[in-house]
Amino acid sequence: MPASLFDIWLGILQGLGTTVTVTLYGLMFAVPFALVFGIAQFLTHGVARLLVTSVIEFWRSSAVIILLFVFYYALPVVGITLSAMTVSAMVLGLNAGGYASQAVRAGLQALPSGQREAGAALGLSRAAILVLIELPQALVAMSPTFVNTLIQLVKATALVSLVTLTDMTFRAKEIAQVEYNPVAIYTALLLAFFVVCYPIALAGRWLEARIAAPGSRSHGI
Amino acid sequence: MNHEKSGQGMNTQSDCIVDIQGLNKWFGALHVLNDVDLTVASGARVVVCGPSGSGKSTLIRCINGLESYQRGTLCLAGTTLGLNARETAAARRLTGMVFQSFNLFPHLTVLSNCTLALRRVAGKSHREAQDIAMAHLEKVRIPEKAGSYPGQLSGGQQQRVAIARALCLNPRIMLFDEPTSALDPEMIKEVLDVMVALARDGMTMVCVTHEMGFAREVADQVVFMDGGRILDRAPARDFFGASGHPRSRLFLETILKH
Amino acid sequence: MGFDLAFALSSVPTILGAVGTTLCVAFVSCIGAAAIGFFFEMVRRAGGIAGLTVGFVIDFIRSTPVLAWLYFLYFVLPFYGIRLGSMTVGVMGLSLYYSGYLAEVFKAGIDAIPKGQSEAARALSLSRRHAVIYVIAPQMLRNIAAPLGNYFVSILKATPYLAVLAVPEMLGRAFDIASETYRYTEPLVVAGLIFLVLALAISNGVKRLERRLLAVGSR
Repeated sequence: MPASLFDIWLGILQGLGTTVTVTLYGLMFAVPFALVFGIAQFLTHGVARLLVTSVIEFWRSSAVIILLFVFYYALPVVGITLSAMTVSAMVLGLNAGGYASQAVRAGLQALPSGQREAGAALGLSRAAILVLIELPQALVAMSPTFVNTLIQLVKATALVSLVTLTDMTFRAKEIAQVEYNPVAIYTALLLAFFVVCYPIALAGRWLEARIAAPGSRSHGI
Repeated sequence: MNHEKSGQGMNTQSDCIVDIQGLNKWFGALHVLNDVDLTVASGARVVVCGPSGSGKSTLIRCINGLESYQRGTLCLAGTTLGLNARETAAARRLTGMVFQSFNLFPHLTVLSNCTLALRRVAGKSHREAQDIAMAHLEKVRIPEKAGSYPGQLSGGQQQRVAIARALCLNPRIMLFDEPTSALDPEMIKEVLDVMVALARDGMTMVCVTHEMGFAREVADQVVFMDGGRILDRAPARDFFGASGHPRSRLFLETILKH
Repeated sequence: MGFDLAFALSSVPTILGAVGTTLCVAFVSCIGAAAIGFFFEMVRRAGGIAGLTVGFVIDFIRSTPVLAWLYFLYFVLPFYGIRLGSMTVGVMGLSLYYSGYLAEVFKAGIDAIPKGQSEAARALSLSRRHAVIYVIAPQMLRNIAAPLGNYFVSILKATPYLAVLAVPEMLGRAFDIASETYRYTEPLVVAGLIFLVLALAISNGVKRLERRLLAVGSR
């Protein structure tokens, strides 16, 4: 008896746990990387900045699918054995973190210098100015970009199916081996990602509209 | 004197370039023009002033059909605007417009800004268009910038180019929408000088501006608007005299005091 | 085992030999994505039911992974009797996926043109067609040049996805070497480095272009 689109969809959603796990572990790499390297790129000059930029560009400008394979196959060669889950979370997370670090840096650079000068005039230390004045504004302004990066991360998790993790994409291929119904299977796969990513996209749009109208924040409801 | 020169062989109706009767316009629930009547004779120089939000910019944008209106009539050189798209477009060709924010095309040189409409609308040859454009750039005293891009010019220079660009199609009436409001104080004079020279040449003008010195010097009618209505209209001499409407007196006092 | 530099170097020519295929796939996909994206944006801009539908299609594409689209086209088209080469399917997949992003690029490029520009064109009596050709389009092209270049880099970095469809681009070649020699690290590292160099070089070119565009005729 052929399975319905809905049955197939439910079968694919069995991989949702892995998709979500990779995404969350990935965020544990992405968020610290984006903050540390974004701020470092903002604060440093000369050789130090070149080093910071090199690390960011390595993770950001490489083709993520190749990075994943390189780390999956190469780490054991140099004696480091990590689970496929850890390697995937690290590579996808740092790739996303590389993108987000540019948003952090751009957000900090976009602030008028008067903000820092006003903080200094009040006698605040550089660190206090960064944490209390600059970062809160930059992170709020850039939050729609972070949401977009999160969506990119969720979508990039489809890659882990290539290193044997049973995510939604892997489930689709498994089902395809027992069921010749490519239209239903791959439509269901697209729909499965859509129901995960679209709400995030809508939340990002809501956030963007809220930030665009600053009056709505200061006056509350 | 101008009336006699351009009025030869025409009846009084066609001598009147702009004829606005009972004009009404709403933006949603906002009544931006409320029963506006205004006629502009050939060679007349009308200055429209009033506080921001009074509808003066909307009025001038209606005159060349950039804005539509809902009730009343607006005749431009005998054509009622808004009835027929082709006639409206033809009538618009008799107008030249200068905007507050210049609106020069940033990707084109000063010369190309001026020749664009000559080439594409008037169908002039490349050569002809350049000659006409250069003549007008000389008139606004900026021919040396013909090869520059708008971004390389000061605000005053850009606005003078915008005036030259509008003059190129040989309009019968020039519309100015707060031409000096976006300019630094030291650049206002160079633009006003060009406008005064244009007035001296007998150009018909409707000018939304707060430059009362300019109004006093060239206007033969000053119109004061507030809340979408024309509250006061008078020859410049009377408007700046003691007899005006109390609202326009108050307005004048405010802006003359700065 | 370790990293065998000599073996890595010996794999360079084979992998480098696929640079042409990779660049070609990226270039054609980018043009396809721009064409579809422009069409999408024009329909969306026109509004109505078609506009809303296309807007939803764009959102749908942006909410789904490129890998899923490649599988979809690769397995679904033959089901309907449409048999195309894997390269063609790959280019179609990349074009479709990135069209959702390029539609947004066109939208931003048009929205960034001040309203006064089309008003000035109307005040000068330019026809709608002439206003688009001489006033709007040149400024839109200037606005989208840099983002388009950046998306070309993104598409370039997505071409190794086509290895899963057995397209002989650089990652595919690297896997060919790996499966013959049972050594994965060296060819993968070589392919990764070549992609990194390509991506950085093109990004750098885009940055320069952006600076030049900003310098000329800035307002």
